[in-house]
Amino acid sequence: MGVHLKFHSIASRVFKHMAVLLLLVSCVESFEPETEIFESVLIVEATITNENKRQQVLLSRTFRLEEDGPNPESSAQVVVRDDQQNEFVFEEVEAGRYLSVQSFGALPNREYSLSVVTSDGRTYGSDSASLTAESQIVDLYASREENANGQDGIAILLDNQTNDENALFYRFEYEETYKIIAPRWVSVDAVVVRDRPSPPIIVLEPKTEEQRVCYNTELSNDIILGDTENSNQNVLTRFPVRFISSDNFIISHRYSILVKQFVQSREAFAFYETLNEFSSQTESLFSQIQPGFLNGNVFSTQNESEKVLGFFQVSTVTSQRLFFDYEDFFLGEPLPPYATDCSLEFTPDLLPGSPGGASPLVQAINSLGQKYVSSSGDENRPFILVNRPCGDCTALGSNVIPDFWVE
Amino acid sequence: MRKYILYFFLLFSVMLSSQTTEETISISFREQPIFEIIENIEQETGYTFFYVKDWIGENRLSGDFVESDIREVLGFLFAKSDIQYHMGPEKKVYLIRNQVIYNELPQGFFGREIDSSDTSLENAGQTGVNPIFLNLEKVNSPVERRTVRIGKVNPNSRNRTSRLYGYITASSTGEPIPDLALVVKGGTEGAVTNSRGYYEIELPYGQNVLVTKSLGFEEVETNVIMYNSGRYDLVLDESFEQLEEVVVEGSARTNVEDATTGSNQILSEETKNIPLVLGERDVLKVATTLPGITTAGEGAAGFNVRGGNTDQNLILLDGAVLYNPSHFFGIFQALNPFAVKDATIYKGNIPARFGGRLSSVFDITTKAGNTSKFSGEASLGPVTSNVVLETPIVKDKASLLVGGRGTYSDWILRSLDDESLRNSEASFYDVIAKYTHKLNENNSISATAYYSKDNFSITSDSLFGFGNRMASFQWDHKFNEKNKGQLILSNSQYDFEIEFDGNSNQDFDIGYTINETEAKLNFVHIPNDRHTIDYGISSKLYLVDPGVRNPLNDESVVQPLEIPREKGLESAVYISDNFKLSDKFLVDAGVRFSIFSALGPSTQRIYEENLPRSEATLIEEREFDQGEFITTYGGPEFRISARYLLQPDLSVKASFNNTFQYIHTLSNTTTVSPIDTWKLSDLNIEPAQGFQYSLGFYKNLQEDMYELSLEGYYKTTENVLDFKVGAELLLNEEIETEILQGEGRAYGVEFLARKNRGRLNGWLGYTFSRSFLKFDSEFREERINDGDFFPSNFDRPHDVSLVANYKLTRRFSLSTNFVYQTGRPITFPVGSFTFNNSEFVVFSDRNEFRIPDYYRLDIGLNIEGNHKKKKFAHSFWTISIYNVLGRNNPYSVFFLTEDGEVRALQSSIFAIPIPSITYNFKF
Repeated sequence: MGVHLKFHSIASRVFKHMAVLLLLVSCVESFEPETEIFESVLIVEATITNENKRQQVLLSRTFRLEEDGPNPESSAQVVVRDDQQNEFVFEEVEAGRYLSVQSFGALPNREYSLSVVTSDGRTYGSDSASLTAESQIVDLYASREENANGQDGIAILLDNQTNDENALFYRFEYEETYKIIAPRWVSVDAVVVRDRPSPPIIVLEPKTEEQRVCYNTELSNDIILGDTENSNQNVLTRFPVRFISSDNFIISHRYSILVKQFVQSREAFAFYETLNEFSSQTESLFSQIQPGFLNGNVFSTQNESEKVLGFFQVSTVTSQRLFFDYEDFFLGEPLPPYATDCSLEFTPDLLPGSPGGASPLVQAINSLGQKYVSSSGDENRPFILVNRPCGDCTALGSNVIPDFWVE
Repeated sequence: MRKYILYFFLLFSVMLSSQTTEETISISFREQPIFEIIENIEQETGYTFFYVKDWIGENRLSGDFVESDIREVLGFLFAKSDIQYHMGPEKKVYLIRNQVIYNELPQGFFGREIDSSDTSLENAGQTGVNPIFLNLEKVNSPVERRTVRIGKVNPNSRNRTSRLYGYITASSTGEPIPDLALVVKGGTEGAVTNSRGYYEIELPYGQNVLVTKSLGFEEVETNVIMYNSGRYDLVLDESFEQLEEVVVEGSARTNVEDATTGSNQILSEETKNIPLVLGERDVLKVATTLPGITTAGEGAAGFNVRGGNTDQNLILLDGAVLYNPSHFFGIFQALNPFAVKDATIYKGNIPARFGGRLSSVFDITTKAGNTSKFSGEASLGPVTSNVVLETPIVKDKASLLVGGRGTYSDWILRSLDDESLRNSEASFYDVIAKYTHKLNENNSISATAYYSKDNFSITSDSLFGFGNRMASFQWDHKFNEKNKGQLILSNSQYDFEIEFDGNSNQDFDIGYTINETEAKLNFVHIPNDRHTIDYGISSKLYLVDPGVRNPLNDESVVQPLEIPREKGLESAVYISDNFKLSDKFLVDAGVRFSIFSALGPSTQRIYEENLPRSEATLIEEREFDQGEFITTYGGPEFRISARYLLQPDLSVKASFNNTFQYIHTLSNTTTVSPIDTWKLSDLNIEPAQGFQYSLGFYKNLQEDMYELSLEGYYKTTENVLDFKVGAELLLNEEIETEILQGEGRAYGVEFLARKNRGRLNGWLGYTFSRSFLKFDSEFREERINDGDFFPSNFDRPHDVSLVANYKLTRRFSLSTNFVYQTGRPITFPVGSFTFNNSEFVVFSDRNEFRIPDYYRLDIGLNIEGNHKKKKFAHSFWTISIYNVLGRNNPYSVFFLTEDGEVRALQSSIFAIPIPSITYNFKF
């Protein structure tokens, strides 16, 4: 059992704090880097699993540091082959996202490899990979804990089990879905019937769509790795997949998390680990980990020196879903603060400040999306409004109940 | 500070303008001792007096002078004494006592007999005697000059030269003065005393003026009239008067005359005037102001010598290896500055008696204790305090020196407001003890013990500590005049420990230890005056515990892990001859044969040949028993250098040497970190090898006041280590799968100009150098930058450093330190990408970019306590400002992915001017 013990990271964490000691004289400041020499590098993210589904390969390119991504690679030909001369052709379903035309699941004891031809005619291949060993999630559960920084919250913990001694390295992804209840919801909306000429006409109408209860789903965006290599048991126990601090509004009502466990090869694990290390340089005034170009197992088949960053792997995957309510852990305790401050109330003037100007109330409703809560009784400022998410949960999520949702 | 700078320039201009006109002075005094009057004159007028206070006596005088000629005043002051004054250039006044002529030395001191029976007589000896004596009164020297006659006139002698030898000791302590230079005025002969204060010099028949030169001791000139070989011992006074003036004084002429290329000596005492961060006196930091020696950045531990990696330096403290000579990640040195006597750095030709590292040797020696009285030295600085105490154990024979050093950073932390810092702990200390005993004329022993420790606990859950431990014993024995021997036994250890005590079940502690024990025998044989033969043998046993990990408590599920101990035996024999082919041509040729064996018990993993080492290519695990030789590496190391004197003060030198290194640091950080570990060569990791060629020109000017040198080198290395990107090095059982071995190439030109004497002294160094590495392989994963040469992390082409000291008055001196270096290469992100729903950066080829250039100016003001004779302690204040310009020198640049976005950060360590004040005293 146990997280992979990142001894170096722990040590460098110590050094990071040394920097704090020298704070009086030292400084760490952010700066805007400019990529003088930008290199366009193909990025390949391809994890084929044993689930029978349309498998996915993501292709993109690097983009300039000062720009915002992503930068998808479109119009490529993507094929996965196995050692039985089977070919699985992929098609682009959205920019940079390629799904296999037919559903398939990776089978054990077969060698798979990836081949990509980009629209400019360059060809790429991967080392061959075979399906990793299997491991089952035995239990996925939530527990109220304190994290390393002493922060109170909910830890999502996982126990797994395997009969295969080759299942040593794990990567986890999750999809979390949480229920949102707009705290200042009322059944009616203030609707602008007439903007101009002044005075505007605004009426209260019953809401036409669900705006009180919504659901939002988010995907994990950090690299969560675990291994049993340094452990005396071949299982992970109480492995922390996710920690949600008690003041995070996402656990206010009902929360669900789907955790996917990928069993990885040693090489894939090392790749993700290094990627993680470079991105979270817990640094370190004194010793910076030597960065470098991270070679995966995808390469150009035409030009050896062309840089390609990517990993093709064939993993077994298992998943499990968990639900819990706020009261399960925080019975009687106040809810965490909502996503926005809903104690703020606005009473804009009905009439414009200058003749021919816009009505502040109309602007608040139409441009700012503020929501009606109640009437004030003052005819100059007739309505009390709040920020949109406070009265309309669709600002934060979808009002469609997910298929898997269980109350 | 600005005020002082102004003062400095003001003084300059006064001096310039007053060169042609004699100033008049106005002064009055009532019953004041003469030396006080002199001090007054110095302060009022800018005249500087050179004298020995004892000569002046306690006479008190009264007088009034208004706009008088200085000569009139001086005439009055010394009318009733035996002092003569002499006006020198630049407002210098030399006070000289009437000459004392010594008698001949007693018979018993005479040297070896001259067995020649040749009767052809040369008169040279006799002619030079009496008449020259009479000329002595023509005084133009700042110092007293004795006259001695050596040897008895031997009419049968046909020798044109004879040998003078003897011991030089300090009057205050009775200790021998080593490294004191003796030079003949106007001649080419010179000698340097050895560690026992012994010197030998060949002098021509007749009169010679012998001058002693050493830092901290008076300069004594002696008329030596050589009739024959003989002995002449000297007892020298320490010269406080000149202390701050002589900041830098190499052993005069050795620069030119020595056969060794690329060597420098730094006396600890010299470093006291150089402004350093937080007022810390630091021999090793000063070393980095010399050409060819750099660090990776501000406060970085470790040195890069002539383009070599930080693990390629052999740092010796009294003969024993010091693995990590720094505290607090390199900000402070781990050596007590008062206990250190000097450091000799060999970066070019490494003498054959040293071996085991590719780039350099830092040979640091500690002081011997005072054998005549209890004395001590201490300093109080803003962050640390140092103290050294010396006491005689057996009068004039044995002494003990103990030193300690510590920081009060714990106290500083506790007084901070920030809660997390208040609970932090950061402390370090080091202690040293040295015992020296001169058993008799032919035997002396010394023993040194040293311990240093750093402790940090910054977060509540982790504790980190590292330390050095070292002990050495040395026995010097003189068999006879021609043969000397030395036995050195030493043991050194470096270790670190990390304890992690969080709230989870993952608590652990890990540790690392390296220990080495060495026995060394060195001999010197001097068959005649043309040869000095050094030979010896050494053997060293390494014990490395590469790592243990233990669960910290019962709840912890961390699996205990112990990487098995590594053992190695490194042995060497060497011989070298310093052979004087002619007066002009000197060759120092040596060979060292070193051999290293990795010893069992051990499990060695055998991989398929010519394939990358990995789990997949593992063939077998081979077991080796206790003491079994796993593998043996070795070979000859040539250390050859030659010097040719083009003129008496101009020489050219060339050298070639090659070296082996059997021990490597494992570090995947861009700068040295205390958790870097050392690994011995084994079946999978071959020893590294280095080759260096150098050529240099050396010139001294104005009686060694100026030293100039220009030296170039070309260096190649093989089998230097690097690691696969993102390698995990600590506690890795299959470390060889992460290691790459490649080659290095470095070249450079170093220019150094030193001014050794005068009110303004110091040095200016400029280095142009490059350093490249190359890791090529058939396999993609084993290549760095496509297998091409790339600049190393410490490739800094331009490096300028200036160290200058200007003496304002006898008590005040200003010093400054300026450094400019090309920014070091770094690996920079060249783009971002999305992966796993998050943004990351993709890095360029290794070291494709550079951080901005580094420059820094430091200024220090040194104030000597007054020189009143009966004062208990001699005190010394240093006020300094580090980084006066407040230059924000980036130390590193790094990138974080936070919330899926990339942020670029740069860090710098001393980004603002750091003032400090240090109080030193000595008794």
